[in-house]
Amino acid sequence: MFFELLAGNLIQGVFLGAVYGMATMGLSLIFGVLKVVNVGHGAFIMVGAFITLALFDGLGISPILAIPAAFGVGLALGLFFYYTVIQRLIKAPELATLLATFSIGILLEEVIKLVFGSEFRGYNWVVGKIDLGITVVPMSKLYAGVGSVVIAVLLYLWFNRTRAGSAMRSVVEDSEGARVCGVNVGAAYAWSFALGIGLTVASGVLLTMFIPVGINPYMGGGYTLKAFVIAVLGGLASPYGAFFGGLVFGLIENGSYTLFALLPGVEPFALTRFLSFMILLVILLIRPTGLLRGK
Amino acid sequence: MKKDTGKYLPLIPVFAVYLVLFLMGKNMSGMWQLMAMLLFYCALGQAFNIFLGMTGYVDFGYVAFMGVGTYGMALSIVHLAHYEVLGAWVIVIGFIMAILFSTILSLAVGAVALRLRGAYFAIATIGVNEGFRFLIEGARIWNGSEGLIFMGELNQILGREAASVLATFWADVMVLVIAALAAAVTLVYMRSKIGYALTALREDEDAAKVMGINVTKFKIVAFVTSASFAGLVGASTWALKTPYVFPPEVFEIHYTIEAIIIVLLGGAGTLLGPVAGGLIYGLSKYYLSIFLPGFQLLIFAPIIICIIVLFPEGVVGMLKKRLRDTALGRYIV
Repeated sequence: MFFELLAGNLIQGVFLGAVYGMATMGLSLIFGVLKVVNVGHGAFIMVGAFITLALFDGLGISPILAIPAAFGVGLALGLFFYYTVIQRLIKAPELATLLATFSIGILLEEVIKLVFGSEFRGYNWVVGKIDLGITVVPMSKLYAGVGSVVIAVLLYLWFNRTRAGSAMRSVVEDSEGARVCGVNVGAAYAWSFALGIGLTVASGVLLTMFIPVGINPYMGGGYTLKAFVIAVLGGLASPYGAFFGGLVFGLIENGSYTLFALLPGVEPFALTRFLSFMILLVILLIRPTGLLRGK
Repeated sequence: MKKDTGKYLPLIPVFAVYLVLFLMGKNMSGMWQLMAMLLFYCALGQAFNIFLGMTGYVDFGYVAFMGVGTYGMALSIVHLAHYEVLGAWVIVIGFIMAILFSTILSLAVGAVALRLRGAYFAIATIGVNEGFRFLIEGARIWNGSEGLIFMGELNQILGREAASVLATFWADVMVLVIAALAAAVTLVYMRSKIGYALTALREDEDAAKVMGINVTKFKIVAFVTSASFAGLVGASTWALKTPYVFPPEVFEIHYTIEAIIIVLLGGAGTLLGPVAGGLIYGLSKYYLSIFLPGFQLLIFAPIIICIIVLFPEGVVGMLKKRLRDTALGRYIV
């Protein structure tokens, strides 16, 4: 009985994990290319969630179509914040970019709160569910999981098969060398930042499929923390590492929830959040380059 | 002798501001609350500056130290109230517990996180207050998410009258004392080996290491000092002023944000900076909450971005540059 429950939760964890992974790729991409830690990461996820909500409730547009819309908005936001703020701080001490991205996150939260208010909201997308024998997976979660994998594969292809993608990789390897070879390093920085933000905002759409009524201007904070745990699991600078880190994290989160629920007198949900923080500290202590990296 | 007193001249303007705030609050009717708020922000900035300003490391989990400080005071009051011999000493024990709790948490966090560099450190700290809050709620430590309410115990210890004077007057005076102490400690650190070591590591950590400075040790010293002041601020403004403590309220990240704004506005790593930042932030927050309630953060977020991009030195940092080598310059550090 218990093992069926655990297995069922772990299957759910795979779908959640895929989305977590996709939600962290943008963070890792930005850190990998610009060496900027986006402390406002969760706020961009929140923006994606509100885009989904606005399109679905306002115009009746399916959340699947909200993904490209959110990606587009994210690109625009990314370019805007890159040219107004980040570009001026790339050479400054780390303190400056940390505080700047943190403030950008607050700004987004407050603007969204101004427009939508601060109560919890949700939308009701009825697409049925699929019975896997030991657990029932809503189709929306299935779409979200598959969508994440598709986006991750597209990103991989873009990085490895296009000119712009290899230019970006060359900047990561050696920005001076790339400049000598005629790569426009400034543009590569700008577009990496924009792409990272675009992915993050798009992931907000997918995440709404797991939180039926949890859309709120301040929902991002928890995801920032989770994204850091995942990014560190997969090696902070690697988007693909982040994707697999997300899968692992989804399994840990759902698995530990099932186990904590067996303990008497505790609140399992709060304990899983504490556990994720402990994982972060331990990994940072023993292997700051990430557990999933070969070397 | 002259050289020694000259070292501590910069404390004069800081203490003068605190004294003026205190006297204005005490003697002008209806001003006490505003002055107490300004003192709170100065104390918060002064305490946070010891770490953020002197090391250049950002601690996004700073409020956790205020939170455990609050719990230190609250637990002392709840558990010791029925020992009548102790009387008002319970409050003193509460402050000691606040220091103890915040020191222990900061040592535990610092021992792990301070081995990490800049960005990795920030990432490690971003979860501290969330992690600790969820530990309290999840494992139901210290009454879990129900929190602690100790109005009755406080009245039992001090009597109704004295408890109310404590909440409306002495708690704020305590904040003033903490702010002054934090300023004094900041200057002592600046003028000692610790300050030179921290300056070296803030400018270039690798070079400092090569020069034989034990960077981790000095970072931990600054971190623990800063954290214990935060614990004291939490114990006096939260536990004593409002006799209850709930995890979501004392681990609220907004206080970390406010501390960051204050330190940056005034000038990170300066002595007078947190005072200037605390006054500017406190006054603008006060008037914004009257004229534009609910919009403070919306207005402050772009301001922080502008400061970081355009004036990274803050108000006092710029003033210090202007006044270098003048008679006034000796008082501004």
